[in-house]
Amino acid sequence: MLSILEGVANNIFSQVPILIGLIACLGLILQRKPIEDVVGGTIRAIVGVVILTIGIDIFVGGLVAFQAVVSSAFGLEPPKSESTLNEFLAGPGSVVPLIIAVGFLIHLIVVRIFPAARYVYLTGHLMLWMSIVIAASLIEAFGDVEPWILVVASALIIACYWTLQPLWIAPLMKKLMGHDQFGLAHTDSTIGLLSGYGAKALKLGNPEKHDSEKLKLPRQISFFKDINVSTALVISVIMLIAIAFADANVVSEQMGDSSLLPWAWGLLQALRFAAGIAILLFGVRTFLAEIIPAFKGIADKLLPGTKPALDIPVTFPKAPTAVMIGFLSSTVVFLIFMMVFASAGWFVLVPPMIMLFFGGGAGGVFGNAVAGWRGAVFGGVVNGIVLSLGQWISWGLYSATAPELAALADADWYGVGWTLLGLGSVLAPLGEFGIWIIAGGVVAITCVILVILGKRQRTAQRNEANAANETTSTRQTDAAADAQPDAATN
Amino acid sequence: MTTRPEPLEVLAVCGLGMGTSLILKMTADTVFDRLGIRARVTNTDLSSARGMSVDVLVGQGMHMSELVGMAPVVVTVDDFIDDAALEAKLVPALTEQGWL
Repeated sequence: MLSILEGVANNIFSQVPILIGLIACLGLILQRKPIEDVVGGTIRAIVGVVILTIGIDIFVGGLVAFQAVVSSAFGLEPPKSESTLNEFLAGPGSVVPLIIAVGFLIHLIVVRIFPAARYVYLTGHLMLWMSIVIAASLIEAFGDVEPWILVVASALIIACYWTLQPLWIAPLMKKLMGHDQFGLAHTDSTIGLLSGYGAKALKLGNPEKHDSEKLKLPRQISFFKDINVSTALVISVIMLIAIAFADANVVSEQMGDSSLLPWAWGLLQALRFAAGIAILLFGVRTFLAEIIPAFKGIADKLLPGTKPALDIPVTFPKAPTAVMIGFLSSTVVFLIFMMVFASAGWFVLVPPMIMLFFGGGAGGVFGNAVAGWRGAVFGGVVNGIVLSLGQWISWGLYSATAPELAALADADWYGVGWTLLGLGSVLAPLGEFGIWIIAGGVVAITCVILVILGKRQRTAQRNEANAANETTSTRQTDAAADAQPDAATN
Repeated sequence: MTTRPEPLEVLAVCGLGMGTSLILKMTADTVFDRLGIRARVTNTDLSSARGMSVDVLVGQGMHMSELVGMAPVVVTVDDFIDDAALEAKLVPALTEQGWL
């Protein structure tokens, strides 16, 4: 009997595609979808995960070839790793779908308990990636952890992140959007904070006078917005240049028994890298389309009056030119760092075009909202620096789990991951107890913050009521209600 | 004037095809439900959108400017959860096609 249970656990419940399928199935049933939608949606979700892993394989293949050739062109050793992202997801990381599901439930409970937590996190692909980052960080720090401990501890930590992240960016979001109908749920929130408050502290400009939207960028660069195009183009160009300088032996070793000319092979590898990312994204999109509507439905039903926290492009219509300015400055800075790092013999950086676009875009819109186009350039530069340093530092830190995370990461991945790794390195001798200290500590800090925020909001509301009684000017009450955000952004 | 396709094929587009376009898909679902139009709304990224033939495209201006003329109805949105605003833009566009 026990062995049957074990067999089911090992063959069914530890398989990411099956787990995602079960979550999607449950979600579709809860939404009372007709049977054909439940069956169809469940299968689509499962196939989506299978496609995702195929995409990761192709992406990692292209990545390895890219790193080997570019390293050789600069006379470096390519970065090493003992594991790959797919191996991690098939092994200890197989509990990631459970972390997402349990974490989301805890997140809803926290939002329900604390009125100060008013946003429900709905950016599905980042729910996936951040769960992987947290699980990988705990495994790196504590070694093999019992799966159920990994699930509960990671779920507690990520639920707190999903609750706090929209709140810490909320004052800047309100300044940028002009309203707070929805929040921001994105792992580039730290880029938003750094560029918004940084551009303000540095007094880079005036948001009205230097508004980026008064500038006109050349139309020719607009094709760069297409992530597939910019990834394929940038990686191909670097690969072709590197092939010309690389050691012929290294290239032929990478080429295996391919009979192509080196440059043609290199071009194909670069294109495979881009295609791998496109396939990976297609897979994620396929299963998210089945899961996120259920998450939103559950949140709407259980938590009326809360606001959705959404992906970063919701801010892009506010300042499309600032997005392009941030993206371009981010990319230029990253490429400069790539040259510097390689010439210095430190590391071969791989340009992560998606993160340069969305992180650069985030830096652009937040920088522009505070300080105009110079703020947008600044935001992009900040993102370029964070992504270069982050990738360099993180590759080695995740070499036993999923080093590719370093080249796929947004700023918050580094922030959260490094914090957990740092705490973990201190608490690792305590074993499982150390994990509980981290998870418990994160939950405790989150609760304290939410209680304080709640008190502040109540005081602000009382002041507002008093002021209204005294029939003073309404402008003042608005100022009181928004005292905290305005103090931070004006 | 043409007769309205059944179901109406609608595509919500964003940069990666999984974040804002998915939110927009849910908003569009609400609007088509309210209008009583049978529609199949899917979401995807800019590259894939070029290879698909649909009746209605929705997304933010930055992307729609790349996709002009790729569907009979192309609607630009600024707010991805505002179903009233989306409806206000869809109704005249659908009426123009004789689809409403």
